[in-house]
Amino acid sequence: MKKIAAYILPVALLAASCAKQPQASQPTNTQATATTTTATAAPFDANQAFGPGKVVELKQPESNKVIIKLMFKNGSMVDPADKKGLTYTTAQMVTESGTQEMPVAQIKDKIYPWAANYYANVDKEVTTFTFAVHQDFLDEFYPIVRGLLLQPAFAEDDFKRVKSNQQNFVDQVIRASSDEEYSKKALEDLLFRGTNYQHVVEGTSATVPNITLDDVKKHWQNYFTENNVLIGIAGNYSQDFLNKLKADVAQLSDVNPSIPNAAEPNKPDGVQVEIIKKSDALGSAIFTGTPMPVTRSADDFAALMVANSYLGEHRKSYGKLYDKIRTTRSMNYGDYSYIEWYDQGGSFQLPNPNVPRTSNYFALWIRPVQIAEGLKKQYAELDTIDVGHAHFALRLAIREVDNLIKNGMTQEEFELTRKFLRSYMKLYIQTTEKQLGFLMDSRFYGRQDYIEEMDRLLANLTVEDVNKAVKKYWQTDNMFITIVTDDSEAEPLKQALLNNTPSPMSYSNLVKEGLPQEVLAEDDVIANYRVNVKDVKIIDSKDTFR
Amino acid sequence: MRHRLVALLLLLAFTVTTAMAQQGNQQNNILPYPIHQKQLDNGLNVVTVPYNSPGLAAFYIVVRAGSREEVEKGKTGFAHFFEHMMFRGTEKYSKEAYGDIMKAMGAAANANTSIDRTVYHMTGNAEMLDKMFEIEADRFQNLKYSVHDFKTEAGAVKGEYTKNSASPYQQLYEKLVSTAFKKHTYAHTTMGFFEDVVDMPNQYDYSLTFFDRFYRPEYATIVVVGDVTPERVNNLAQQYFGDWKRGSYKPDIATEPKQKETRYAHVKQEGFPPYLSLNFKGPAFSDKDKDLPALSILSTILFAENSDLYRKLVVNEQKARFIGGGPQFSRDPNLISVSASLLDAKDMQYVKDELMKALQDAKTKPIDAQKIEETKSRIKYSFAMSMDSPDAIANSLARFIWLSGNPESLNNIYKVYDSITAQDLMNAAKKYFVTETMTVGTIAPTEKSPVK
Repeated sequence: MKKIAAYILPVALLAASCAKQPQASQPTNTQATATTTTATAAPFDANQAFGPGKVVELKQPESNKVIIKLMFKNGSMVDPADKKGLTYTTAQMVTESGTQEMPVAQIKDKIYPWAANYYANVDKEVTTFTFAVHQDFLDEFYPIVRGLLLQPAFAEDDFKRVKSNQQNFVDQVIRASSDEEYSKKALEDLLFRGTNYQHVVEGTSATVPNITLDDVKKHWQNYFTENNVLIGIAGNYSQDFLNKLKADVAQLSDVNPSIPNAAEPNKPDGVQVEIIKKSDALGSAIFTGTPMPVTRSADDFAALMVANSYLGEHRKSYGKLYDKIRTTRSMNYGDYSYIEWYDQGGSFQLPNPNVPRTSNYFALWIRPVQIAEGLKKQYAELDTIDVGHAHFALRLAIREVDNLIKNGMTQEEFELTRKFLRSYMKLYIQTTEKQLGFLMDSRFYGRQDYIEEMDRLLANLTVEDVNKAVKKYWQTDNMFITIVTDDSEAEPLKQALLNNTPSPMSYSNLVKEGLPQEVLAEDDVIANYRVNVKDVKIIDSKDTFR
Repeated sequence: MRHRLVALLLLLAFTVTTAMAQQGNQQNNILPYPIHQKQLDNGLNVVTVPYNSPGLAAFYIVVRAGSREEVEKGKTGFAHFFEHMMFRGTEKYSKEAYGDIMKAMGAAANANTSIDRTVYHMTGNAEMLDKMFEIEADRFQNLKYSVHDFKTEAGAVKGEYTKNSASPYQQLYEKLVSTAFKKHTYAHTTMGFFEDVVDMPNQYDYSLTFFDRFYRPEYATIVVVGDVTPERVNNLAQQYFGDWKRGSYKPDIATEPKQKETRYAHVKQEGFPPYLSLNFKGPAFSDKDKDLPALSILSTILFAENSDLYRKLVVNEQKARFIGGGPQFSRDPNLISVSASLLDAKDMQYVKDELMKALQDAKTKPIDAQKIEETKSRIKYSFAMSMDSPDAIANSLARFIWLSGNPESLNNIYKVYDSITAQDLMNAAKKYFVTETMTVGTIAPTEKSPVK
């Protein structure tokens, strides 16, 4: 329920703050116990990380708590075609429905004074349950953990509530809460259309109603088993405790689940655009993506990390895209690039663990830019425009990628970016939970400790390696693009993209008068930069994720 | 040089006594680490918490100026906009040079603004602390940007407004605060009124005034948590911020007149979960009074997932997807919000009546002592488990620094929590949950609010 709750949080939370970019998260300082590393990952089969006896340990005797994580190799990609969302429902039913001995209300009463908590996170390829408790209450808390795993109640009333929330999410919340998150999910829908990776993990409007409680019980039996689980444990626990946990996890269903391969992303033919129109959108929120066959399991990932960071590190003001689109031209709040799935990027500055994926793509995120209607209202000098900043911003971003592919990074840029990453990556694992999460993800990718191993790979990297990797894995001729925008902007933007119409940047006089000549000259080039657009469709918001 | 040495010795003596005094009664404190404080002659407060995080430190600067300080008409949203300008460079370090240094440090660095404050933070390599101090001291004292840079940044702020305003919750929040407050600056959000955001490119001169007013040592506190010593931090603070000149500005923030009848704020939105929030005028933050801790405990008991009301509305009747609430901790009296996300707007009146009934009952029916103890335990354990990194600790301290000016308020307020009784909860309910001071916020598909 954590994800859905995030969308229906009270207004009070919105009062919190206006971040330039969001908060960093927390640190800690312990060592992983398992640190045997290999510089090169073995042939990559994520399934090998899961199954009887697979454990990731992180002992921290000084800690005041214990974190248990159970990661199952399943995810939304194992959902049946007519019951998309079933894995999500099942995971929610484990956390929201108590045990056969103790209804969920009683559990909540019991753990209330301890501030213990647990939640499930479902992604495309894995489902992860996380349990956290202060060491003072570990012995009392553990029977609840055990009960949830081995005797989940799956009560009818809880099912009704879980499903209703899920339906509400796929019908309403997803389209109306955040246009940028919406465009990101729409991009995945396009990239993986027709495959087991297409649908959002919560399912679709049409399939959630098909899910029955009986489906949930069977799904639990067939896809959450001792044969596809990875145990993670961190904090202040004893060996006896771990032995007990292992013995109990071994009592999960003994079915050998049949886990399909993760679908490859579709190959775009030219640049294919979907514009999603909705009423009263103030801006155009843009996501682009194109298949990229490299993940953390490959050593080349380190080279791509440097290139990616140089182009647009998530929520950092140092990237090329951010510099040119936001800092220089004042067009939006930020612009970044990605070489792997970034969970809830609007909320977190540092990456969340436990969303590992084998199927990958390269993506650009252009946060909402102004539409024609808004610009015209604000500036009399822009009275004649019929398309806002989206076309120009897209051209600029794509040209930056092209420039990087063509020209590569300089030695100096490379050194600085690498130095940044080697320090910055250590901030991924500041808390016990994050550290454990990243260690478990490491196993998914066939590594022991991703953070350590990447550091070693980065240390040995050259600028030539990076420039070679960029040429090998990145291109911009064939891409998918999704744009969520206002209905007034959709058709003019479609025509402009399809016809490759010049898109001079529509500055206000205020900004334009102070811009250096080289920026204006670059604008002229960008305005006519050819993007290989082959197809543009307009979709009504109400027809998405059906 | 000699002066500096004397100052250093004095400083060390001061630090040692403070540390010892604090360690003396550390056992009674919620934060299990001593908070070292030193105030420089210019009024800048320096707070250090050594924490076992080898090689890692969190470096925060809290400026006690937020949208609360935006007292002039047409200038709402300025504290936040100004926060953006702080990344636009100085003569010594241009924005590009600043960016390169940040990049070389590999730190997670950022800033954010809220109603009562602006916070700049950096978490990274403790060995780079010297550099962190140097670049922050430079921009806090010598910020310099062109008119053009100023106008350009305004576009990014408008982009931020655009991004946020896609959410109906944000739209409601804007309406809600401007309805609940008529005089006080809490009437506008930290983003500011849209017309002011649009007008920002024209406010260059005002931005200089703003910097001159608030980016002064008496408004600021430095917080460093992690693999550091107070001596090192205090020395660096003296070295880099010692010459920072005090200012003299004090904003005249209007007192909000007493509200005398229920007010309404509504957002019409189809295809979105209906939402109800009841907002009562609450108290300002204090680390001595019982009101805020009592309201926090009471709202936890009334609306937590194991509360009677949650079970009735969310679990059994399934008319709400979520209920929750609590008081806002802020420098001046602000709102206590109680909210519910509903399945059907038709049930809004019913849900509102149920929430009101629970609040009404709290005025006269004493809450079970065991429940109160369990809630205190929950609040304490929740805090203890979350204090697991320099950043988490610095964040917690920053909050109390902006609220009261003193990080020890963190320890103080948890002691007040401990003292709360059933009678205190009833007193707080009687005092604050009154319809005269309530503003009802709603999101529903209807033209007007579906509740009375």
